[in-house]
Amino acid sequence: MNARNDHTIETPRERQGRHKAMEAVKVLDTLREYAVNPPEAMAYFYELHRRYHCDMTPMHEGKTKVGTMCIQVPYEVIDALGAAPVRLCNGFYTDDEIGGEYLPSKSCPLVKATVGAFATDHFADTPDLVVTPTTCDQKTKATGIVEEMGYPVYEMEFPRVKESEESREYWRRSVRNFTKTLSKELKTKLTRGKLKASIRKVGYAQTLYHRLNALRKAELPPISGNDMFLVTNAFFFDKTEAWSAAVERLLAEMEERVKEGIGAARKRSPRIVYTGSPPIFPNLKVPQLIEMADAVIVADESCSSNRLFNDMVSVDEWFLYDMVDAVADRYLKGCTCPVFTRNDDRIRRIVELVKEYSADGVVYQAFAGCQVYEMEQRSVLAAMEKEGIPILYLESDYSPSQLGQLTTRVEAFVESLKSRKRRQ
Amino acid sequence: MEYFAGIDIGSTAIKIAIVDGTGRLVGHRVSASGSMFYKYAQESLAQLMAEVGVAPEALRYTVATGYGRKLFKEADENISEITANAIGARAAAQEHGEIKTIINIGGQDSKAISMDSEGNVVNFAMNDRCAAGTGKFLDVVARNLEIGVDELGEYHFKSTGTPLSINSTCAVFAESEIIGLLGNNHRVEEIVSGVHYSIAKRIVKLVKRVGIHEGIYFDGGPALNNGLVNAIENELGKPIFVPAFPQITTSLGAAVLAWESYGYESGEAV
Ligand code: SF4
Ligand code: SF4
Repeated sequence: MNARNDHTIETPRERQGRHKAMEAVKVLDTLREYAVNPPEAMAYFYELHRRYHCDMTPMHEGKTKVGTMCIQVPYEVIDALGAAPVRLCNGFYTDDEIGGEYLPSKSCPLVKATVGAFATDHFADTPDLVVTPTTCDQKTKATGIVEEMGYPVYEMEFPRVKESEESREYWRRSVRNFTKTLSKELKTKLTRGKLKASIRKVGYAQTLYHRLNALRKAELPPISGNDMFLVTNAFFFDKTEAWSAAVERLLAEMEERVKEGIGAARKRSPRIVYTGSPPIFPNLKVPQLIEMADAVIVADESCSSNRLFNDMVSVDEWFLYDMVDAVADRYLKGCTCPVFTRNDDRIRRIVELVKEYSADGVVYQAFAGCQVYEMEQRSVLAAMEKEGIPILYLESDYSPSQLGQLTTRVEAFVESLKSRKRRQ
Repeated sequence: MEYFAGIDIGSTAIKIAIVDGTGRLVGHRVSASGSMFYKYAQESLAQLMAEVGVAPEALRYTVATGYGRKLFKEADENISEITANAIGARAAAQEHGEIKTIINIGGQDSKAISMDSEGNVVNFAMNDRCAAGTGKFLDVVARNLEIGVDELGEYHFKSTGTPLSINSTCAVFAESEIIGLLGNNHRVEEIVSGVHYSIAKRIVKLVKRVGIHEGIYFDGGPALNNGLVNAIENELGKPIFVPAFPQITTSLGAAVLAWESYGYESGEAV
C-alpha cells in the first residue's frame, strides 16, 4: 500500500493540463485505432498535436504572439510584421466547462472553450495581443470578457453584409487600421518585401493544401477526413514553414497511394461533405462518428479547415497598400461564414463540393448555441433537397458522453447512403 | 457495562459496529452480504459480540441502516444511511476537526452529503442509477485487468503517462472501453489512473451539487484505495480525510445513534 502522504495535490493549472492531455490523448488514440491504412507522413501531425496540447510545448518562443479569435484575421499581415499568428478557437471540453462560468450556459461551446482557456491562462503560446473580429454575436461579446480578464484586445470590425461595395471598403479600412496599429505596437515597419514574402509563404501553403485536397477526389480517397482536420488544425499554431514541409511529405505519400490505389476508406464507404460549426481539435466528435460509421469525409466547408485555404491573395499592383487591400479581399470574399445576411455563397460552395468530390451526402453540424449555423440549416437543407442531395442535420456540443443518440443518427444516415449506392 | 450496536446492511457487505456506554467504538466487523441478508447479519453480529466479549444481555439497543435495514427484525430502530453516515463521520473524525462534506462511495451507489456544524444533514446528492462510479465498477475493472482490487492504488501511483479517459457513463460500455484500451497495448497503469479520474470527476460533480466546503471526509470501501483518494483530491484541489476504517462509518453512526436513543428513551422513562 502506498503511504497517503507521498503525494501532493495538483494545482488548478496542473489539473487543467491533465484534463486537456486526457482529452487530446483520447482523440488521437481513437483516430489511430480506427484508421484504415494510416499514412506514415501523418505521424508528424499526431506528434505535433500531442506536443502542443499535452506537453504544452510552445511553438513560437521569442516571438510576439498575436492570438486570433476567428479565421478572418489576416495572417499575412501578422507574419509580415514579424509576429506569430496563433488561432485561439478552442475545442477542449474542459475549457468549455470553465468558460460556462463566464458566458450563458446556452452559448456556443467554441466560444465558451476559448474564453475558458483565457480564464485559466492555459496556453502553450500565451498571446501578447488578442484580435477579435466582430463576426458572430458570441465572438463579439466575448471580446469584453477577455479584455476584463486583463488581456490586451484589438477589436477588428467586420461587416455583416458581403455583397456591397461599402462592406468591402469598410473591411479594407479595418484591415489597414489593424496593420497600422500592429506595426506601431510591434515597432516594425511593414515593407513591400516583407508582405510579399508572407503572401508567398501563405500562398504556398495554400497551394499544397489544394493539391492535397484534389487527391481526395480519387475513387479511393488516400486520406481520411479526420486526418485532414488534424492537418488543417495544425496550421492554427505550427510554424508555417514547418507545416508546409510536413504537408509536402504527406502530399508525396498521397500521390503514391493514389497511383497504387491505396485508400483510407473502403470502396463502399459513402463519401461525405462535412459542413457547419468548425471541428477544432480535440473536438472531432462528429467527424469521428462519421468515419467510425464507415463513411469517409472527402471534403468540408468549415472555417477550421477548408475555408482557411479557399481563396488565395490575388494582387494586381505590388504596392504596399494595394497588397494590404488584396489581403483584406481574400478574407472577405472567401468567407462563407453564416454570419452574413445571405448565405448563397456558402450553399453554392457546398453543392460544388458535393459534385466535384462525388459525394453521396452532406453532414451538417451546428454547435448547440450557435445561432447562425442553427438558423442557416433551414436554407441549406432546402437547397440540398432541391438538388437531390441527402443531408443529415445534427446539433451537438463538446461533452464527451451522450454519444449514443448521435451515433445512432449518423449510422442510420450512412446506412441509407450505402443502400442508395447499391441501388444505383 | 452497556453496549450498543449499529448494523449497516449494504448491497455487497454487512458492516457492524459496537460502541460502549461512553459512545466509544469497541469493535467492528465487515462481512459479505451474500444472498441471505438476514441470516448473515445475525451471524455476523453474534460473532462480533463474542470477539469483543459482549454478553447478549449487555447489548442494550440496536439500530439498523442500509438497503436491507427493514429485514433486520431484531433492531430496535432503523434509520436511513444518509443520517447514519453523517453521525458516523462526525464520530470517526472527532480528532480531525470539523467535517462539512461527506463523500461516500458504496458498492452500488455514491453520494455526497453536506452537514452543518451540529452534524445535521443539510443537503445530499446521490447517484444510484448506474454502477460506473461505484465499488462494483472497481471490481469489474480489476477483474478485466487481471489484478486485485487492492492493487489498484499501487498501479495508480506507478502511472507515468497521461491517464486514459473513460468517457462512457454506463458501466457496461465503460467495461468495453477498458477492454479496447487493453487491446491497443496501453499500459495497465494509465488505464487504472484513468478509471480513478473518471470516477473522481463524477463524484466531484455530485459534491458540487451539495457545495464544496472545507472539511471533506471520504468513506466507503473504495476509500481504502489510495489511488482513488489521490484522484479525488486532485479533482477537488483540496485534501480529504479518510478515516482508519472507512467501511464502517455508517454502522458506527447507527451504533452512536443507538447509544443516544437508548439514553434518551431510558431518560424519558424515568
Ligand atoms: S464560425 Fe465564423 S465567426 Fe466563428 S471562427 Fe469561423 S468564421 Fe469566425
Ligand atoms: S460556431 Fe457559431 S457561435 Fe460559435 S464561433 Fe462559430 S459562428 Fe460563432
